[in-house]
This record gives sequence, structure tokens and C-alpha cells, in this order.
Amino acid sequence: MIKLLTRYLYPVLVLGLLTGPLASYGQQPGALISGDFRRLSFEQFVRQIEATTPYHFYFKPGTVDSLVVDVQVTSQPLAAVLQQVLRPTRLHFAIDAANRVYVTTGAPIQVELPADMFQAPLPGAAPRSSPTPSAPSPQDKQPLAGTSEFKVYAIGPRQALAPGGKATLTGRVQTTKSGEPVIGAAVYVDVPPIGVTTDQAGHYALTLPVGRHNVYIRGLGIKLTKRQIMLYADGRLDIEVPTDATTLKEVVVQGEQTRNISSLRMGVEKLDIKTIKAVPTAFGEADILRVVLMLPGVKSIGEGNTGMSVRGGGTDQNLVLFNDAVIYNPSHLFGFFSAFNPDMLNSVELYKSSVPARYGGRLASVLDVTTREGNRKQFAGAGGIGLLTSRLTLEGPLAKGKGSFIVGGRSSYSDWLLQRVPDASLRKSSASFYDVSTQLNYDLNAHNSLSATGYYSRDRFRLASDTTYRYASIAASAKWKHTFSSKFYGVFTGTYSQYDYSLASARNPTTASNFAYRLAQKGVNADFTYYHSTRHTLDFGGSALLYDIAPGRLVPAGDSSLVIGNTLQAEKGLESAIYLADRFEVSPRFSVYAGLRYSLFNALGPRLVNDYLPGASRTENTITGTTSYGSGQVLATYHGPEGRLSAKYMLTDNSSVKASYNRMRQYIHQLSNTTTVSPIDSWKLSDSNIRPQVGDQVSAGYYRNFKRNTIETSVEVYYKVMHDFLDYKSGANLFLNPHIETEVVNAQGRAYGVELLVRKNEGKINGWLSYTYSRSLARVNTGTELINGGRYYPSNYDKPHDVTLVGNYRFSKRFNVSLNFNYSTGRPITLPLAKYYIDNTLRVYYSDRNAYRVPDYYRADLAVNFEGNHKVKKLAHSSWTLAVYNLTGRKNPYSVYFLSQNGQVNGYQLSIFGQPIPSITYNFRF
Amino acid sequence: MAISLWSKARAAMLWAGLAGATGGCVTPYVPEVPEATQDSLVVNGFINSQGVTTIQLTHSLALTSTKAPAAEAKATVAIQAQNGQRFTLTENPAGTYTSASLNLNPTLTYKLVIATAMGKNYATDYLPVKTTPAIDKVYWKYENDGVQLYVDTHDATRNTTYYRWKYQETWQFTSAYNSLFRYNPVTKLVEPRTEDIYHCWGNTTSTIITQTNTARLSQDVVQKFPLVFLPASSAKLRYRYSILVQQYAQTKEEYDYWETLKKNSESLGTINDPLPSQITGNIRCLSNPDEPVLGYVGIHSVSEQRIFIDRQELPLSVYAVFQTGYEKCQLLVEDRCPPRSPRLPPGVTEVFNSPELTMVSVGDSSSNRLTSCKYYGAFTDCVDCRLRGTNVKPSFWK
Repeated sequence: MIKLLTRYLYPVLVLGLLTGPLASYGQQPGALISGDFRRLSFEQFVRQIEATTPYHFYFKPGTVDSLVVDVQVTSQPLAAVLQQVLRPTRLHFAIDAANRVYVTTGAPIQVELPADMFQAPLPGAAPRSSPTPSAPSPQDKQPLAGTSEFKVYAIGPRQALAPGGKATLTGRVQTTKSGEPVIGAAVYVDVPPIGVTTDQAGHYALTLPVGRHNVYIRGLGIKLTKRQIMLYADGRLDIEVPTDATTLKEVVVQGEQTRNISSLRMGVEKLDIKTIKAVPTAFGEADILRVVLMLPGVKSIGEGNTGMSVRGGGTDQNLVLFNDAVIYNPSHLFGFFSAFNPDMLNSVELYKSSVPARYGGRLASVLDVTTREGNRKQFAGAGGIGLLTSRLTLEGPLAKGKGSFIVGGRSSYSDWLLQRVPDASLRKSSASFYDVSTQLNYDLNAHNSLSATGYYSRDRFRLASDTTYRYASIAASAKWKHTFSSKFYGVFTGTYSQYDYSLASARNPTTASNFAYRLAQKGVNADFTYYHSTRHTLDFGGSALLYDIAPGRLVPAGDSSLVIGNTLQAEKGLESAIYLADRFEVSPRFSVYAGLRYSLFNALGPRLVNDYLPGASRTENTITGTTSYGSGQVLATYHGPEGRLSAKYMLTDNSSVKASYNRMRQYIHQLSNTTTVSPIDSWKLSDSNIRPQVGDQVSAGYYRNFKRNTIETSVEVYYKVMHDFLDYKSGANLFLNPHIETEVVNAQGRAYGVELLVRKNEGKINGWLSYTYSRSLARVNTGTELINGGRYYPSNYDKPHDVTLVGNYRFSKRFNVSLNFNYSTGRPITLPLAKYYIDNTLRVYYSDRNAYRVPDYYRADLAVNFEGNHKVKKLAHSSWTLAVYNLTGRKNPYSVYFLSQNGQVNGYQLSIFGQPIPSITYNFRF
Repeated sequence: MAISLWSKARAAMLWAGLAGATGGCVTPYVPEVPEATQDSLVVNGFINSQGVTTIQLTHSLALTSTKAPAAEAKATVAIQAQNGQRFTLTENPAGTYTSASLNLNPTLTYKLVIATAMGKNYATDYLPVKTTPAIDKVYWKYENDGVQLYVDTHDATRNTTYYRWKYQETWQFTSAYNSLFRYNPVTKLVEPRTEDIYHCWGNTTSTIITQTNTARLSQDVVQKFPLVFLPASSAKLRYRYSILVQQYAQTKEEYDYWETLKKNSESLGTINDPLPSQITGNIRCLSNPDEPVLGYVGIHSVSEQRIFIDRQELPLSVYAVFQTGYEKCQLLVEDRCPPRSPRLPPGVTEVFNSPELTMVSVGDSSSNRLTSCKYYGAFTDCVDCRLRGTNVKPSFWK
């Protein structure tokens, strides 16, 4: 009889298992039993349970007719209740993933397939109903290499099963093909909705109720993968996931579909390299900064310039991290190229608000650029040949797959191009750059892994054999990740960043000179993550950064030079911070991120500091004396808490609202009194006379997905206040100035806006459309300095309307077309309004600062990408990209300026990309 | 400096190179600016506390205008003391208002009041009277292949601190050719020239703002402040040069005004410039405080000193070459023999009938005979020095 029942039920069970997420409603912690079940027949008891919970009972009425239920329970799991009810009988029960309860005599029913079911069974294998045939111990020592979607992996010793308990599943996600870790992939179960993303080494840790789960892995460049587990106790499951076979590294399956609504983060944009590569650029090379500039809330400050303003912030308020090391100048060749080799990159993440507590030091944003880990299984390479640059990347395994390396280089041949320009003075000019970057990874064991990255970039240009400019960036970082337990790991990072530039002027022997600037920064970070429970994840840690700036040294060049050498005093500072943050899941719908960062800045000697007359405008005339500080002596201290809060409430399964508050403090300031960014802009630390910048931002958003999460929409609003950022007095002289404080004023700013985004990630047509309305206002009214009468005025980054469309259409797997469109209000400008004569000299009357605007900006670009055939056995896979930048040839103003000519003041506008610019790039991969 | 160097570098690069390669281009840009913002009252001048005050009222012009600035005529302009004393200025010519020679009390404050014919009233605040100390010395040194002029001054009472200078340069020069004869178009005869159009005096006034302060010094002393540099090849040094230096004591506010104006003016014309700032003077429209009024009126006396520099004082070779501006001049020769009358040959007549050409000499100048086969002429600009100066000897010229 029982056998018959079992046989009959089996197909149902199998069906139930395979239907996966839809049916697996079972172990919801909410389905607890409470009630008074005294003196009931078993059938009455079952009816009551079925009426109040999702459980369904299956039993033969004949086996239970003599049973009288007599229990009283409050908030007990069903299993516990049934144990109590059935204890005096010979009946057994089993609960499956679909909340079906089987009550049987003799032996409990097996509700899932054994892990080895589809492997060839040994002859005479134990009957299916026998308890726990597979010994869990070897699996514990050697983590499961979860490769099958159909197998149920048992995690932990089966006897450990405690109904209603929780256990932590940890492991590493890596690709089947190369064994590289999959970084930033979402690992989640949907019932209950618990998920995490894999870290830099591909590790994850999920704390789940014990029982059956379908674990999904979704990530960039991998196929959506499912693993079925039976979780008995803490254990480990390494998961190998296939990459998308046709596209290797370039096709990407977007992140977790519901991430935009279910994640706590807001104002965060993640770009994968595929999106970046699809966007057409002026010189045909994929350019991450160019794509970042197309995101809502990010404004370019000028065409052909990588300077950016995020939500109304300044160009120096963006923390650009390259594997955690700061990059001070992320551009090459006058800003026409970004400094990152696209083949090296894994992803780019931009935080506009809800900045995690572990980041700090800049007001407006964090741009986190991470490189890929090399291929752990085989040697591979990629590269590209373009009109101005070429690049090559090589990667491969180290130590038999325990580690990997990737190294990439890029170089320009713009010199060659300049030689061919029919202009004699230009032929003497030159401009070139190169950069190299590398990443090494090595896993010592399951608990310790090491990685190291290095980056070096160098630019040089010379104009008509006069002044030679050189600048170089160095960034290096080393990381050690240690897993203390399945719930607790730490990452220890050491970083070094350097930025230096020099100017060599050689034309006139009497004025020949060399000028050099150097900024170096050493940092250590310790970051810990503790998965306290499914409801609390704690992040905490600390960091220290030591700055060392040589702000300028001018030396005469050659014996006949009459230049008097001059060296500015070095600047030193120590920025330290500690932080603690908790991701708290208050309920499945409502979660909160609360973080606190406390940062402390010490400006350090040796230094001679000017004292100024209090209450007066700082000029050379108000210097009252100087104070001398010895080596290592603290000359100024600033510190303060930085609160980071965000909260999410899921309205429905596909919509949510979020809100966040951020405070940021910034202790280093860029000195530039031009609107555009130049490589010879220097950075200055806060000191006794220059206060740190402080910014507060509140934002709120509504997120909704349509069409099975393939279309994401969002509305975000923000309001931001910025204190004490630097503005400059008229005609400020920042070059070799030993008292910069006399040239700058503290400005206050406020910015607000609304960002609308519609994004489609899948399908033949994909891309995004965004509209932003934003304002960025500044005010200078310090009592001693006034700009525009002390009223708020539009900052240089105030461009209220912005529409961006990034669209891709995939005709076939080998052929796709991308189209960009961008419109924005013209940037503010201070215009000469009239001319007049004073003492017979022509003078120009200017408007209020930034009272007018240059003409609106719009541009459309088109790119066509052809892939070679996708035969697996091929020496190299290649693709061609044909792109046209500025398709309509609109003459967008890059700059507007005025010249005084014969008593007239004439205005001119300079357009750099004044006609369609075609380019062609050949990319290859092997 | 470096910033503007970079700006220029980048600009040049974009302009010539990348811009050329990428279709970049420069197109005229005419901003849309409301016309009302282009027309403002301009007040030019200062209140001379020990002498004649001259105030010019004009209007600003659109940037591309080629017209002369319009004068604000028939206004009432007066200097008013805090104690109610009032000195009215008289208009001559239109838009220029002049006072009698005044001697203002340095312990009082005064203001300038303007009432236009249209009924608008403008005024400064009450301003202190700054008394300018005497110039100690204007002198020069020959250095760096040229003449560097310096000024020294001091104020023992420590009341000045902020100094500004204006100057007028005058120099003797000659045109390219000394014309001894002139063609008389009425009589159609060649006659000896009676007016000297070969020796003239050139004249300029300072256009750049020259000022300094002694705020950082322990004494109110200006020493060896460089005013003007003349390269050795300057035509101003060819015969005799004179400079009249006028010194003004200023308030800090006035000093700041001129400093900002100076920085604003220097920034015009490059691409990635520091933001120019709007500067407001010290004159307000009483009925509309937001109306911009251009110019700054200070109250101070004037100290002057004139010096002369003779070429003989300079360590210059007798063969020294000067940039006279006449380098492109050429002597034209008409080679025709005249008929037996004093009249010129027909072709020659037509040549010298043109106002663009002026006769320089006839025949062989050594023989001084009128009947020659050669007529010499040149472009009038090369002959008539009055086009570049005046042939009236200035009264101060010694």
C-alpha cells in the first residue's frame, strides 16, 4: 500500500522539484503554527492547519482514524508540532519544498532526490528510503564543485537538521572555462528573498533557513545558473558557472534582475565592460569615463575633457579608485582618452549617493574601477588597433591554476599623426602617452588569497618645440583576504598613489626652466565583513592615508638661464578614518543600512604657516606673522563624523522606494582657476588656513520594473549642500604661490535635481534613456569676499536639462548597432556685456558671474560592430568597430571667448568636433 | 602663469591640430544679451582736492559697435561736502564737466552728485580726501638693452599706502623724408615749403593700470617702482623724450577697484581663462540701486614730475637703428624733363595732385635748381609727421 503511494507520488515530487522557484514556498519562517488543537481528530487538525498556512497534507485516512490530537502550540514550526502530535503513534511525516506534508506509516517519505540519483548507481545500492546513504564528511573537507543544475547538493551533516534553524552556506563562484572568480555576481535564493554578491575573490556567504533551496547565480558575463541544495548545517559549495559561450568576456548577462529595486543601494550605477564597449567614442576606443559621463546625474565639463561633475559637485570631488588606489588624473592626451585600458577592466561602479561607509574623502562621488582577474585555466590575450592608439592584454594561470596574471599595455602613436599635419610649427610638436597595468592573484588556501595590482601611465606633449609637459600616474595596491570563518572575513589593503607633472621650457636660454609638482599618497585599509545573521551584515574597518606633496619646484635649466630657482614648502597630512555599518533586514520588505564613518585629518609639519589678521580678507597685506612647525608636528586638525544611512521598502515584488542620507568630508582640494581640468592643476591639502569641504546629501527614489524585470525604471530626487569648497578670487595666481590661501575663498554650494531613468538590459534592443533636471548653485559671501553680491549663482556645472539615450540593436549575434544621443543645456558663462572707455582706454563690462549660457549642446553618435565567426577552434576571435562620432556634425561650443580687435570686442566659439568623425578599430582575442 | 600657459597650449593644440583633424573650427559667436544691459552710464575722472576737477560722462557701447561713445550732456554735476558746501561743475564740451580750481578740506568728506537731463540722480558715498605726497624722484636707468623708468616716493605720515600713477609721454621725432618743396595745386607750381612737417612731437598717455601698495612694508616708502620700459630701439629715444608722471594717493577700495579692472582686462582673449568678475564702482543710481554705473571716482590731489631724456645721455651708437614705424617708406622718383616753363610735366602734375602723395624734393637737391629732370615724392604718411603727432612745440619742451 505504502509502496503504491510512494510510486504514485514520485513523479509529483520530481515535478515539484523542477518547477523550482515558483513552487518552493516551503521554509518561509512566517509559516509557524499557533493555536489550540485540543481534542481534535487528525482530520480536523489538518483542516485547521491547511486553512491558516500554505501546507497541504497527504495521508491515507484509514491510518489516522484512531488518532486524537491534543496539543497547544504558539509559534512552532510545523515539524515540531507534528513530532509532538505523532509521537505516540507509529506514523511518520515528511515536508517537502512545496509545503506538502506526507503522513505515512512505517518509514518517512523521501521528499527529495538523493544527490547521487543521476549518477550511475552501484549495483545493490541501498534502498532510497534508507537514511542518509552518502557520507557527508569527505564533502566537508573537499568543497563540492557544484556543476550540475539537476543535482541536490547536501550541505552539512544530515543529522544536524534542526527544523527552524539557520545555517551559512559559503563558497566561491568561478567560471567553468577559465576558473576565474566571478566578481559581483548575485547569489540568492528567492524564498525567502536573501541574496548577497560575490566579493573580489568570488566568495559569497549566505545565511539561510535550513532546508531545501534553489540558489541562483546571476552575474556579468555568466549564464544564469541554478543550484539546488539541501542545507543541513554550515557548509561550503563552490560553484562553477558557464560563461556565455558565444561571446567570451564581452557578452554580459546583466546583474541580478531585480537588483535595482531590491538592493539597498541608490544612486549607484554599475557598468560592465560590454556596455562600455558598445558606446561610440570619438577615436574609436572604448572609454569608460565617456560612458560614465552619459549616466544620469553626471555632467561633462567640456567636450574632449574627462573632467566630470556629479550631481552638481566639483571636478575635484570625485574619488577615482583603481583597485582601491586613488588616481588623480584619469585622462590622457588633453583629456581625449581616459587613462584605463578597456581590456583590463572588470567593472566600473559609480556611487552618487548612499556611499558605503568604507569610502570617504571626496564630496560628490566614488568611481570604483576594478580590473579583471586573469584566466586561471589557459593563456589568453586580447587587443585592438585603432587610429590613434593600440593595446594588448595577456593573461594566464599561475601555479597550476592557484593564481593568475593579467597584464595590459596601451600606447599612442599620435606623434606620428602630428608629423603629418601640414603645419610647420605643429610638426615640431609632439604628444604621446602610454599606460601599463597588471593584476596578479594567488590563492594560498581556502581561507587566504592574495592579489596585487599595478598601474603606470605617462603623458608627454610639446608644443612647437617650446614647453614640454610631462605627467605620470602611479597606482599600486596589494590585498590579502583572510576568511576567519564562514561568516567573517577581512581584507587588508595597502595602496600607493603618485601623481607628478613637470613643465620644461627651453626656447629662450635666459628663461629656460623646469617646474615640477609631485603628490604621493600611501594608504592602508582593513575592511571586515561579518555576516551576523540573515538580518544583519556588519561592515567595519579603518584606514590611514599619508599624503606627501611637493607643491612646486622651479629650477633654471642650462648655464645661461637667469631664472631664480624657487621651491615651495612641502605639504604633509594624515587622513585616518574608522567606520562601522550594519545592513539590517528589518523585514523581508524593509531594510536599512546604517553606517558611521569618523574621519580625522592632521596637517603635519615641517612647515612655516602664515598668520592672518582675523576678520579681514586674506591678502599679502593682512599677514601678521608666521608660525613655524617642526617635522611631524600637527599644525591643524579637523575631524568629524560622516553619517551614511539608507533605507529601502519593497512596495511590491517589482517596485520599491528608497531614501538615503550621506555626509562626506574632503581634505584635499584641486587648484584650478580654469573651468576645464588640466594636467597641471595641482592638489592642496587642508591646513590652518584652508578648511576641509563638507557635503550633505539627502535623496529619495522610486524604482519599478516591468515586463518580468527586463525594463527598469527609476525616479531619484536629491538635495545637496556643500560647505567650504574652494572658489578663486578674480585673477587668482595659483602658480608657485607660497600663500594659496590669499587667492581662494570658501564657497558654499547647493544642488538639487531629479533623475529619471528607463533602462532595458535584455533583448535585441537594449540601452537606457535618462532625463535629468538639476541645478548647481554656489555662493560666496564670507563677509570679506563677495561674488555676485553674495547671492547664489549658477556654478560652472549648472546645466539644468539633460537627455541621454544609449541604445543598442542586435541584428544578429555577430552584428549590432549602437546609437547615442545627448542633449544638455549650455553651461553658464560670464559674458562681456558692453565696452566703455576710462582714461581713453577700452574696458569691458562683464555680467554677473555665470549669468548667461553658451548654446545648448547636442550630439548623436553611431557605431556598428561586426564580430568574426564564432567557431570554437579558431586562432583568434576578432571584431571590427566602425563608429561615427557627432553624426550630425553639429558645432557644439567647446569654448567661447572674446577678442578685442580694432576697438571692437568680438566673440568666437570654438568647436572641437565640428563635423562627423569616423573611426575604425580592429579588436582581437585569443 | 602656468595655467594660462597650459590654456594656451591646449587651445593652440586644439585649434591647429586636433581641431584641424577633427573638423574643429572657430565661428563668430554673438551672445544674446538684452540691449538694456549694454547701455550704462560711465563716469570717468576724479575729484581733484587741490585743483581743477574734470568729470566725463559717457555711455557704454555694444561690444561690436564702431561708434564713439555717446556723451551724457546737459547734466548737473556737483561736488558736495558733508557740511553742505557745494561746488557745481560746468559743461564744456558736451559731456565734460569742469570745476573751478578747488581746495578741499582734507578733514571733511565729499561726494559727487550727478543729475542727468532725463532726471536720474547718481551719487557716490561721502568719500575721504586723500592728499597725495610729492614724488621724490622720477629717474631712469639703462638696463636690459633699454631705458627703465622708475619712481620713488614716500609718505612720512603713513597715510597713503596705496599709490597709482598715470603718465604722459612726449617725444620728438621726424618723418621719413624732409619735404623742402610743395606742389601748389592752385597755381600748379612747385614752391618752397614754409611749414615744417618733418619735425614733430609724439604723445601718448598711459593705458595700463600702474599701482602699488606699501601695506606690507614697515614704512610708507616706494622705492624704484618700475613705471615704463623703453627698448633701446624705441623711436621715442631717437631725439629727445619726456615723461610727465602723475601720482595719486588712493583709498584701499579704489586700489582694489583698479586691481580687479586690471585683472579683468588682461584676461580677455584667451580660451580657458579664469572667470572675469563683475566689478562695481562707487557710483550708485539713487532711484535704482541695481543699475550698473561704471567707473570709480576718488578724491585726491595730484603730484607731478617731468623729466627729459636726451639721446646723448644714452649709451647708444651713432649708428643705432630705431623702430620708427617708417621702415616701409620709399622715395618715389618721377623722371621727366620739364617743358620750358615752371609748370610741371603733365604726368607729374597728376601724381602730386593726389593727397596720398606728397612732394619731397625736385631735381638734384644739392644744386637746388628747380629745373630738373627728377621729381621726388613719397606717401604723405611718410612725409607729413603731423599724421603721427604735432608740429607745434609743446609749451614745456625745453
